[in-house]
Amino acid sequence: MERLLFIKSIEGRVLAGITMFVGMMILIGWVAINEEARMQAFVRQHTGRSIERGAELFASLCSECHGEEGYGADERAPGLNNPHLFGYDPVGLQTAAITNANRALVRLNKDIESLSNEMIDPENPPSEERQNEILAEIADLETQINEQQLAIEAAVAQRIEILGALSQAVENGLFPLWDTVVDSDRTADNEVEVFFNNNGTRLAQVGWAGDLRGYIITTLIHGRPGSARVYPSSTGMAAWSQTAGGPLRQDEIEDLAEYILNWDKGSAWTTEDFGAVAQYGKPLADGSLPTGPQPEKVGDDVLGILARWEADEIVGSPTSGELLYDARFGCTDCHRNGASAPDTVGTLARIQNERLAEARFAGYTVEQYIVESITRPGDYVVDGYSSGLMPDNFGDRMTDQQLADIVSYIMTQ
Amino acid sequence: MTILPFPSFLDDVKAKGFKKAVFEGIDDSVERLTAGLNVQDLREAFRGEAASRRPNPRLTPHADGFWLHMRPSYFNRDVTGMYPSFRLGWLSSYFVFFETITGLLLMLWYTPAPEIAYGDMLTILSNVPLGQLMRDMHRLGAEFMVAVVAMHMMRTWITGSYKKPRQFTWFSGLLLLVITGFLSFSGYLLPWDQLSLWAVTIGASMAEATPVVGDQVNLLLRGAPELGANGLLRFYLLHVLALPALLFVFFGVHYYKVVIHGHSLPPQKENIGEDSAKRVPLDKRVYFIPDMLTYEMFWLGATTFIITVLCIWFYHAPLENHADPQVTPLGTTAPWYFLWIQGALKLGDKFFWGVAFPTIALGGLALLPYLDVTPSRRYAHRRFMLTIAMLLISVTTILSYMGLAKFAVQTSAETEIVHELTFEPAHSKVGIGRTIPFDQMIVGAYTTAQMHGADEMSANDMIAEFNAEVSANGQFEQMIQELKDQHLGANQLPLRFRSIPADEAPTLMRVMEEFSHHLDAEPTELPNVWGALVITDNQAGLKRLDWIVSWDSVLIEGGEVQMDEAGEPIIVMATEDVPMVDDDGNPMMDEAGEPMMEERTKLDAEGNPAPVRRIYSDHLFIHEAAAYFD
Repeated sequence: MERLLFIKSIEGRVLAGITMFVGMMILIGWVAINEEARMQAFVRQHTGRSIERGAELFASLCSECHGEEGYGADERAPGLNNPHLFGYDPVGLQTAAITNANRALVRLNKDIESLSNEMIDPENPPSEERQNEILAEIADLETQINEQQLAIEAAVAQRIEILGALSQAVENGLFPLWDTVVDSDRTADNEVEVFFNNNGTRLAQVGWAGDLRGYIITTLIHGRPGSARVYPSSTGMAAWSQTAGGPLRQDEIEDLAEYILNWDKGSAWTTEDFGAVAQYGKPLADGSLPTGPQPEKVGDDVLGILARWEADEIVGSPTSGELLYDARFGCTDCHRNGASAPDTVGTLARIQNERLAEARFAGYTVEQYIVESITRPGDYVVDGYSSGLMPDNFGDRMTDQQLADIVSYIMTQ
Repeated sequence: MTILPFPSFLDDVKAKGFKKAVFEGIDDSVERLTAGLNVQDLREAFRGEAASRRPNPRLTPHADGFWLHMRPSYFNRDVTGMYPSFRLGWLSSYFVFFETITGLLLMLWYTPAPEIAYGDMLTILSNVPLGQLMRDMHRLGAEFMVAVVAMHMMRTWITGSYKKPRQFTWFSGLLLLVITGFLSFSGYLLPWDQLSLWAVTIGASMAEATPVVGDQVNLLLRGAPELGANGLLRFYLLHVLALPALLFVFFGVHYYKVVIHGHSLPPQKENIGEDSAKRVPLDKRVYFIPDMLTYEMFWLGATTFIITVLCIWFYHAPLENHADPQVTPLGTTAPWYFLWIQGALKLGDKFFWGVAFPTIALGGLALLPYLDVTPSRRYAHRRFMLTIAMLLISVTTILSYMGLAKFAVQTSAETEIVHELTFEPAHSKVGIGRTIPFDQMIVGAYTTAQMHGADEMSANDMIAEFNAEVSANGQFEQMIQELKDQHLGANQLPLRFRSIPADEAPTLMRVMEEFSHHLDAEPTELPNVWGALVITDNQAGLKRLDWIVSWDSVLIEGGEVQMDEAGEPIIVMATEDVPMVDDDGNPMMDEAGEPMMEERTKLDAEGNPAPVRRIYSDHLFIHEAAAYFD
């Protein structure tokens, strides 16, 4: 050791030192030329581990609603292990074939028309030779038209077959409103093409202009405020990112996205894969309200409402009424302190002692008075308060149950 | 009369001829660059010849040049060998510069913000050529530096070099040791992974124990009650600005003192009570130029070469998952050089062992040269101080061992075992459960019970028997329920155990044997235990591994399994509520008319009391590209 570290001659040290430096440079050079491969390997490895972490997050946070295997849960949340999400669109392929064939048909018919016009042109009649040529060409074009029509028929049949195979998926929410298009029985026209252009894939359905990763990440970050409306049994998708007040860091969001994207089978998706999905996304097709049956609103027929409650045995709950009154419909915004509207506190006593004592409310019950005040606020305004302040559309915004809840809450005040 | 309108090189050429003018020009430049040595001097020096010019030009760079003005122009031959210095001081200085250079390169790609820092680490590893090598070198250099500086101190103690007149040199060196420790520690946090966050959290929490100002010190250091954006920025600034600045200042002070007093000689080379380092006899002089210079350049090359080799083939800086204040990893420890404090903390009072004890220890070290004022540096005369030195080394080692997570930290056996099999890569180790090659993770449910049958039984028979047993006593159902609770898909729940395909999956077999071995090692805490591994497909290229431990519950109080008189663990029996009946067999009612219930031991089908069966599970996902098994 002593001899190795303390080489006695100067030349020896200089030589050994140079060797070390050169050796080091060679080593670093060797590392450098292998860096490209190493970095790629690291990216692969890191993506793999990112998927693992994403899987863990998905199992603990997302699987409750989106299903352990990502197929979604009925009326709860859409499947993510889902060809529709990843842009596999077998119907769209057939639709595109039909569109192309239709375009070809238009072109071919135009060609025939111009040839026919040439044939019967009175000013410049074609020679006999030319006439034969034209006839041959027309015959050829007609064969082509025939072919195109066969192609259309085949594609339509194919599409019907595919749609048949997708019937379970359609039932689970794939292509909402598709039946309205089918009913028109114009399977080859624009309407159908437009429908599939707008619904063939999830991104088209929601009108997302970016790529799938961006869509997934954005949804993870901000949640989906409307999903409670779309899926009746869902509590709605929360904003998951810390940026939007959720629990996850950005790298965890990326891990989750990486995991979800790993379901993509690329070109290996088949129509059978649609059947495995338990629930599809239900976009707001017209850009406004979710499709499907909507609960009936109360309207403003006061006696009718009360009769319905009687008949359907609708009973209000003061607890949920309070929530609706305070938060959902924001009644307390005005109905407090008695400044801009009568105070909520003491309503019942006021109605019983003051309002119903008035001649105009002879025969009214307290319930009837409250229902009328909510659904037809303009009919009577208490002295001292301006008319027209209270919105007159609560009848269009509440269900029977909600109104009953609110009424029962007010009766406790 | 000049050739050009001003004096120029051309005049020299005219006067002396071209060749001579060029050579003299070069000579002149070299002499200026080296602050005193011309070409001929350098040639003589590197050939090992005596200097031909007088006065000796090899001394001029020390007098006139900046770089060498702090280096002595000659050394005593007795201190240039391996003994007594072991080059530890030189190595410490080497690492100061090595860390500065590699650190500056890493700074180019680093932003000290919690949202960005970890991503920067990934960028350094995935998108910066030589980035990984640079990070490995910086990290390894940091570990070496702490070790080398500490050894340098112990060497100084052992050779008694702290004695008069070098008391202050010792003190400045001690400051450097502390600064080095904090430099390394502050760098620990910067990758912002789980390892750094928790190691630093533990380290920094010691500051909290300081009386009166503890909270304030902690707040000042972390920038918030918990380590976050402010804490990271503060540690970064400490690491790249404050501590290096202090380090360089005290490095200068320390080295200045070393040169002023001369390198202390080996104790036996000087008379007792005498300090002869400054008087170097002519025949013992080893001149810096050329001897020490070539030594140092050679060592520079050799050391860097060795570190390069280590970082290419033997060492990679750890990087764990992103820091997560919500998830405390099992077995967190402070960096190894602070383990002794962590160990001391397990002895009792947080203030005494966490703050007072290290302060006393460091204070004692600082005062050492003033307490030990005996003149002799000979080993034979310093038995007491050498004993103390050995004691210090032993105590530090023992305390460091006590600082390890495995010492006196209670974790329940099942958690410990599953963690041991599945932990994520940390400190270049990984749980063997992750090392099963992807194609050997064959979908199915396997159990350690397979290892326990009679020799003559085939694995299949044994598994069949076990299947029958666990489905009869409800343990299988309990496992299925546990898997459901852990969000394993309904389609993927296993129907029964199958035997381990040892031929296709030898590593899987080995891991299961290991699992079984670990479980068997805990007969008191885990009686009648069996373990299971359920492998399922999750996605293309992604498997899920559920590890399950099922055992009879034992009575545990204060972390200790309670034993009965026979020395057997006390097993907790299941109870159930049954309606009370009176002597006539009629159900008894309470005042409210409800049937009265009583608790009693639950019996199994054969009428024996049934123990409470406990189950524990943990799962991990393995992607085929994750490459834990390379």
